[in-house]
Amino acid sequence: MKKLINLLKKEIKELITIQLIASLVFTIVLFYFIGNIARSEMGKVQGAKDIYILNLDNSELSREILRDLVFANFRINLLDTKDKTIAIDNARKNNIPLLLIIPEGFADSISKFQPKEIETYVFIRSFSMGSSINSELINQIIASINNYLSDNILKTKVPNISPSILKNPIKNRGFIVVKDRIAEGSISDVNNFVSSQSIFIPIILMMVLAFSSQMVLSAIAMEKQDKTLETLLTVPISRNYIVMAKMVASGIVGLVSAGIYMIGFRFYMGSFMGNIPSSARINEVVQKLNLRFTLNSYILLGISLFLAILCALALATILGVLAEDLKSAQSASFPLMFLVLIPYFLTIISDINSFSPFLKTLVLAIPFTHPFLASQNLMLGNYSIVLYGVLYMLVVFIVLVFIAGRIFSTDRVLTMKLRFGKRLRG
Amino acid sequence: MGAVLKVRNLCKSYGKINALKGIDFEVRKGEIFALIGPNGAGKTTTLRIVATLLSPDKGTVELMGYDVRKEPDKIRERISYLPEEAGAYKNLTGIDYLRFMASFYARDDKEVEEFIKRGEEIADLGERLKDKVGTYSKGMVRKLLLARALMIKPKLAILDEPTSGLDVINSLEVREIIKRFAKEGVSVLLSSHNMLEIEFLSDRVSIIDSGRILETGTPQELKDKYSSRNLEEVFRRIVVE
Repeated sequence: MKKLINLLKKEIKELITIQLIASLVFTIVLFYFIGNIARSEMGKVQGAKDIYILNLDNSELSREILRDLVFANFRINLLDTKDKTIAIDNARKNNIPLLLIIPEGFADSISKFQPKEIETYVFIRSFSMGSSINSELINQIIASINNYLSDNILKTKVPNISPSILKNPIKNRGFIVVKDRIAEGSISDVNNFVSSQSIFIPIILMMVLAFSSQMVLSAIAMEKQDKTLETLLTVPISRNYIVMAKMVASGIVGLVSAGIYMIGFRFYMGSFMGNIPSSARINEVVQKLNLRFTLNSYILLGISLFLAILCALALATILGVLAEDLKSAQSASFPLMFLVLIPYFLTIISDINSFSPFLKTLVLAIPFTHPFLASQNLMLGNYSIVLYGVLYMLVVFIVLVFIAGRIFSTDRVLTMKLRFGKRLRG
Repeated sequence: MGAVLKVRNLCKSYGKINALKGIDFEVRKGEIFALIGPNGAGKTTTLRIVATLLSPDKGTVELMGYDVRKEPDKIRERISYLPEEAGAYKNLTGIDYLRFMASFYARDDKEVEEFIKRGEEIADLGERLKDKVGTYSKGMVRKLLLARALMIKPKLAILDEPTSGLDVINSLEVREIIKRFAKEGVSVLLSSHNMLEIEFLSDRVSIIDSGRILETGTPQELKDKYSSRNLEEVFRRIVVE
């Protein structure tokens, strides 16, 4: 046991290099910096926005529209000029983002049911988040003005009936069904809520898998590149201990690195995610549908993630043996990364249950598919599927560890290579 | 003196290439036994099999009665292998590297310290042992590795080109160290291209070519047999002519 701990300490010391620490620090600083910028941009978007108005109509209706804009969190800046060209030129020169021109005779035309055009100008000076949201807001404002005007007209013409009934005679009452539970609500709201709760799970999983497997691949490749493997294999310690120490050390360093990256990533994502509303109504629907993680779900999810990491480490160990040096270790990691990325994207963009039986079997045969599916299945209460996945990964892990152990206990550990044709020395 | 290592009819092939075609030799206690031969003769393959890195296809290798195939763990406890192109862990200091390696052989902490002290003496790197191996020159790494191999006083030290990468002064020092350890009872199996080194160090020599041992004897016996002034001439007569 003491020998294993010594090996483990050595592996960790070898993996934690200045380069690794520097890259982690750099990533954290980078995410912090980008997150801050994103947060300030979001702040600008959410705060009061300047809009310049050229009101050529100056009627009660146009003033009502301006009051509506103030209500919609716009800061109104009325332009003095009566000339449209000067107004546009002025806006262009003075860094004005939005310009709205209400034409002369606007109120008059509306009252005669003759559609009149309001002109809006969005000045693009960059393709940042703020500029695209500005143009989106303008569309919403126009829609809201249209709504306001049509409601007024309908109220005048058909005073006894509510304008909303006239405009939408059919009402929809949406229900969501999960197994034997039913709740009234919007599926998109629930989807958004559930995604906001579980969006980090696949990202964390992908990062941990990528980091840990890359670590173990590098650890083995480094032994080969630095010509230390031969010596290590002749010391009196079980080859299984060597494999285990590499896997555990890589797992620990991979987990810590991924954790640090995730802190940075969470900070970055927080600038967007912090703005997702979570109303009491959605909470009630989610509660009714029982779409929440219980303690048991967390335990099962943890086991599923842990086994996926073990599978990745074992597979990376086998691939690491094929690598001659750090460079070929990079190539050796591609098949593993594909196996991680395929289920990652498939579970995000589609429902695996809708696949043909052959394709479904193929996807489920990838051990990393199961933890990606686990969070969804646990929320939906499909515990048995998650348990099957856990069992499957356990079997895959045992097989892979057995293969890795076999390779390390024979001379294949020295003779197996990615690039063949190199003559062995005599 | 009884044989520490017995190699009988050793055969090994890599696919269609027969690297070893039936090798026989013995290494006695406290003896320095050298394998010399041209590139691709089978020297490193032989050393690797004895060091439990490769498994033989045929034949037997016994170290103090332990079979390399059946009891590799027992053999690993009694040997120390220095490959020709070996390195040390760059992120460890020299002293940490010695400590790490010593921990696999020592029975207790006291013995670990004993091994490290001996290793420091052999490496003779002074304060540089506290620096990371990554900052060492090639020669310094080689001395550290030799120290690692000999500090545990193995029953058999397997040294592949022990002075590879060392300058003349360091090579002389290393040869003296190997001689000293052999006198203290460590058996040495080595390979080298340097005939002067072999002549100076070895008690007995085997000349190997194309996976077969062509001659075995003391350097003097071989020189007498082939009426040569030195081993280089013996080697040329046997292998080239």
